[in-house]
Amino acid sequence: MAAATGGFAGKVLRVDLSTGKISTQDTVEKYGDMLGGTGMGYRVLWDEVPAGTGPFDPANKLVFATGVLAGTGVPCNGRTAVTTIFPTVWPKALVGSGHMGGQFAAKLKYAGYDGIIIEGRADRPVWLFIRNSRVEIRDASRLWGSGIRRATLEISQEMGADCAVAAIGQAGEKLAPMAIVANSVSHSAGGVGGVMGSKNLKAIGVQGSGAVHIAGDKSEWEKLVKFHLSILGANNQHVVPSFPTPQSEYYNPGSRWVGEPGKRWGAAEPPIEITGNIYDLNRIAFRTNSAAFFLGDNAWKHTVRGNGCTACPIRCHTIVKVPSVAAKYGIKEMGQNTCTGLLFGRSFFKKLPGGLKGQTALEACMVGMHLADDLGLWCNYGQLQRDLMKLYHDGLLKTKIGSDEYASIPWDKYEAGDPDFLFDIIPRIAERKGELGHVLSLGTGGIFSKWGVPEESWTKDHASLYWKMGHPKHHANEDDGQCGVIINTQYNRDSQCHSHCNFVRNGLPLAVQKKLAEDIWGSADAVDAAGNYTPMNAAKARRARWSLVRKELHDSLGLCNWMGPWVASPLKERGYSGDDSLESKFYSLATGRKTDRAELDLIGERIFTLHRALTIRDMGRADMRAAHDLVPEWVYHDKGDTPPFTKGTIRMEQADIARAMDLFYEVMGWDKALGAPTMESYARLGLADVGKGLQAAKLTPGSTGGSTGGTPGSKG
Amino acid sequence: MKRGIHPELIELAAEAAGLEAALSRRGFLMFSACAVGGITALGLCEAFGADAPLVILDNAKGMLLADPTRCVGCQRCELACTEFNDGRAQPTLSRIKIDRSLYFGPEGPTGGPRMQGSWGNGLVVQGVCRQCPHPVPCATACPQDAITDDPKTGARVVNAAACVGCRMCQRACPWNVISFDEQRQKSSKCFLCNGKPKCVEACPAEALRYVPWRDLTREGEKGGVLLSLIPANKAKACAECHVPSGRNPAAK
Repeated sequence: MAAATGGFAGKVLRVDLSTGKISTQDTVEKYGDMLGGTGMGYRVLWDEVPAGTGPFDPANKLVFATGVLAGTGVPCNGRTAVTTIFPTVWPKALVGSGHMGGQFAAKLKYAGYDGIIIEGRADRPVWLFIRNSRVEIRDASRLWGSGIRRATLEISQEMGADCAVAAIGQAGEKLAPMAIVANSVSHSAGGVGGVMGSKNLKAIGVQGSGAVHIAGDKSEWEKLVKFHLSILGANNQHVVPSFPTPQSEYYNPGSRWVGEPGKRWGAAEPPIEITGNIYDLNRIAFRTNSAAFFLGDNAWKHTVRGNGCTACPIRCHTIVKVPSVAAKYGIKEMGQNTCTGLLFGRSFFKKLPGGLKGQTALEACMVGMHLADDLGLWCNYGQLQRDLMKLYHDGLLKTKIGSDEYASIPWDKYEAGDPDFLFDIIPRIAERKGELGHVLSLGTGGIFSKWGVPEESWTKDHASLYWKMGHPKHHANEDDGQCGVIINTQYNRDSQCHSHCNFVRNGLPLAVQKKLAEDIWGSADAVDAAGNYTPMNAAKARRARWSLVRKELHDSLGLCNWMGPWVASPLKERGYSGDDSLESKFYSLATGRKTDRAELDLIGERIFTLHRALTIRDMGRADMRAAHDLVPEWVYHDKGDTPPFTKGTIRMEQADIARAMDLFYEVMGWDKALGAPTMESYARLGLADVGKGLQAAKLTPGSTGGSTGGTPGSKG
Repeated sequence: MKRGIHPELIELAAEAAGLEAALSRRGFLMFSACAVGGITALGLCEAFGADAPLVILDNAKGMLLADPTRCVGCQRCELACTEFNDGRAQPTLSRIKIDRSLYFGPEGPTGGPRMQGSWGNGLVVQGVCRQCPHPVPCATACPQDAITDDPKTGARVVNAAACVGCRMCQRACPWNVISFDEQRQKSSKCFLCNGKPKCVEACPAEALRYVPWRDLTREGEKGGVLLSLIPANKAKACAECHVPSGRNPAAK
């Protein structure tokens, strides 16, 4: 039963939980022009979920989809996008997706599926059993009420040790918008756990013994995989080490390439010392140690090893062993996660004994992971913790919840930086206990809606890092000036895009970056040094467009946009260039359909534009520029009142950002006044049906629609 | 040149059993396990059945050596094994086994405190073919004599043309590292990639090495790390050659 084409598993699984009907569709025939991942998700929502559907309505659908390159040996694959009407978008739920790594994507492909479309609502708790062509809806009444770990363990006992389980915890069961689904211990997709809970779906267990076929010549494939490995840096494609070494021309202290020879995985038995040539491809896994990057040198002695997704040599999930937490808190001494997941517990505290990189901070991280990754609570990229901090320190919280409830919270531990505080606050939010638990579990928007706090108090406060629509900034002007700002205006949740910042933060000197920029975006002016910005120009708009297109491309191919794209490399002999055509080369070989960079980018643009169309449809208005593409006030201010375009400030200028949006809409081929795609752009991208649908609803430039209703988000 | 069991000993045993003729067959030695009491123990008869042939191959020249403390569980070795050799990504076909011990280790989800993998002590124990010396359980079990030694590396390899897909080798392997290719309905095992193992090249953590073959069965637990578990019913087959040297009749 060889697949007709390589790369694709071949089928999309459709499970209607209301009727129990399980069916499949041909992936390429139905969704081939959207690749998979978010592309497939957006298409399902466009075709099948009517405008106005609420996130927890049975009519909402949940699309778990991976892509052509997932499950293969392409470095940094392993991603699953979970697309749905996203519950934390404020003031109204709109399209969004959570993304998870781990082993789920690969297993799903080996089972024969590129995606799973979950429909309806089961009348009792269920879980989905997938073993190759055998798919069953099984009873989950025994699992309901348990955390992610127990659910995963029990399903693993039932299916076998080699299944991947994506499960929700108590937060998802209780329909908290701030809930995750997580697979393989620690790989989570935020915001979608409650949608699973609303469908009474506790978990999906998947086991696959099949293959992902490579259509092209296997030796050519091997060559390309090895080439890709050779241009890899460390986490976030930081291509220079963080430490000086005679082996490297450059180093940059901000780099996540922290695996310096002499450092040790101190908790391995026996410990492993990093030795040898830092560029050795058999040592890539030692370059990244997230725990050491985020928690400092202290983390090395607690490091057991790196871990992460299928096929990724950049092991961003550090497994750490901290025996003291077993003694102090009675929790497991082992933990693993990365970035905000790793920092979940620490991020609650303003101050910690020993500082943010001390032992208490590490213990707070362990407790945070223990609780949040089991209860299935999302941090909204750290916004949850910043919100609580702001509510508490601004004195707002005291006025918003009852005094008994307020007094029941151990604020003394909070003030003291005692990780024990987390045993109170995390279950409180995850299980939606009391007024505070309920409101914070809604996401930031809940604070505005339920407590009547004006959004302005967040958008004006730089420390909140809040951007718009209930979500924070995600690599905005602090990393990438106007490019970062543009990107942060485009999504309904935080932007989740790393294409831009992975380049500007790759650690190479600006002069080298500018040289690369000239080749990739046609001008050295496409890049500024972080915190030393020049006024907007067309090359930056091109780079913003490229970043967004690649982000959607990666999310639809099963690649990791946290690691890619790979346009810079550690290779001096290549002038530090990577390969801008890598994705299309892999796609061509895997599928056997020769597709060049421009053709594949066009698909990425199609996917991105469909996201835009869905947003327009569901907001019921086309004036995206005024109503959606918003920038928070704090972006235009500087504490010391340093003027914009001065070295040392990330402050932006309003007129310049207006010009940035003009230029961006222009390179997208969108209507500048509305910030909406034109009929021509829909047609050019093979989305004529989408354009016609919106035109009929008067939601395209030129149709008489435009602004209706009130402004849903912040001003600025 | 013969490696492993001294050829004189084999000849002697074969002669005593009246099986000299079997010596020339297909370039390797084959005779009834139970007939040569001098160098085989009854354990073999129980493990393979009284009439099973005993196949003796030259020892391999090289083998894979895996360090579980370095394994980062990325499965790049499994994918290199199948993509670069078979043109498809398929861990179940891989001749090196990571996937099965990724989360829980060989003890599985009920392993409790002994649990390995990312749910337990963090250790990922790689499953690799040891290129067993005599009695080469997989080759011995094969009713088609489809498993022979590769002249270049000495790796025990499956001759796909002769394999009928009965899976007897899979059942005989003490390490559970024989794969079965469902697509071709053939057995498949580590053939050392003709002397340049793809898995070793692919490992991003230097957890795999290709080293000259030697008998490591009695060195397993010394480092404190349990390298692999041999199911009790299969261990009998190894007992013959791997009993402590003083008690091994073959060593006298």
